[in-house]
Amino acid sequence: MSKTINIARYNPQTDSQPQLQAFQVDSDNSTSVLDALLQVQQQDPSLGFRWSCRMAICGSCGVMVNGIPKLGCKTFLRDYPDKLTVSALAHFNVEKDLIVDMQPFLTHLAAVKPYLINAEQSSQPHRQTPAQLAKYQQFANCINCGLCYSACPQFGLNPEFLGPAAITLAQRYNLDSRDAGKAARMPELNSKNGVWGCTFVGFCSEVCPKKVDPAAAVNQGKVASASDFIISMFKP
Amino acid sequence: MNDTTQAKRSDEPVWWALFSAGGVCFAVVVPGAILALALLPAFGGFSADNLSYPRISALLHDALWGLAGLAFIGSVICLPLFHAAHRIHHGLHDLKLGGGLLSKVLCYGSAAALSLLALYLIS
Ligand code: SF4
Ligand code: FES
Repeated sequence: MSKTINIARYNPQTDSQPQLQAFQVDSDNSTSVLDALLQVQQQDPSLGFRWSCRMAICGSCGVMVNGIPKLGCKTFLRDYPDKLTVSALAHFNVEKDLIVDMQPFLTHLAAVKPYLINAEQSSQPHRQTPAQLAKYQQFANCINCGLCYSACPQFGLNPEFLGPAAITLAQRYNLDSRDAGKAARMPELNSKNGVWGCTFVGFCSEVCPKKVDPAAAVNQGKVASASDFIISMFKP
Repeated sequence: MNDTTQAKRSDEPVWWALFSAGGVCFAVVVPGAILALALLPAFGGFSADNLSYPRISALLHDALWGLAGLAFIGSVICLPLFHAAHRIHHGLHDLKLGGGLLSKVLCYGSAAALSLLALYLIS
């Protein structure tokens, strides 16, 4: 079955803003948006988009499908019987067509020190009970696709806002029994661009392709930051 | 964003705590007050005499050494005011109309002023 797909094209050297261009693709029950883009690239090799794994694990194929952030490889044409418009992820600068500059996102991820911090040197394995693992495991499923940043109106208004995935990642390590770095991460979370930049819209959790529930992590972060605030009042 | 410049702590936990407390009051205490003060008497749940001035005045001023009145005003007027102020403050930011210091002072300032007025009126 042939289907029309509209793609927002943008070449920073010649265009002042993205323009929609329509293409025809073959579509059956298993055609993903990424498959469709690969077909279009056969017709027009100048089309720019990112992809790698095709199985919702690398996080590189994020695009807006009819205005909603989606992974191209996990979104199927069969679910869009009417209009289908694909554009670059919102709230990021477009480099070309569907390719955006992810640098602000990566900077925010790095800002929360997303690694185990522990001065203790030991050659023994660090054992963890299932209960200790369960505390953070869901938050460790993030694939850094950035869809939640495109969904977040607060990140759209203020690019300095750490944003859902970075705050989730901070929680992921703060909740890890092997980690001792919470004190080093809290200042970022406590700031106005940390957890307090969130107004609990919750759309991040709706669009997350891995069911990480970043909104829950941000709200846990608010509780953590509020208790940190109270503790700080009793410290010199 | 690096180790040398530590991000400044936000004062938001204070407003967020008032907002959360106000939200609980809005959801639980305010409907209860509306039920007791407006709906039940109107639909004959109990007689209006139960809401007579001497009775209510005694409840507000004397019960639990006046703490009952304070708790009532706090949970039905003051905390919900701070809840609403927080919403308006952040709503203004979303509409790109504010969210800065001015809207903060105006929103929380009016919540504080109206709270004081309410407390003054029952004192
Ligand atoms: S939290 Fe979900 S939506 Fe956000 S970057 Fe991670 S996987 Fe993507
Ligand atoms: S191609 Fe890897 S997540 Fe879609």
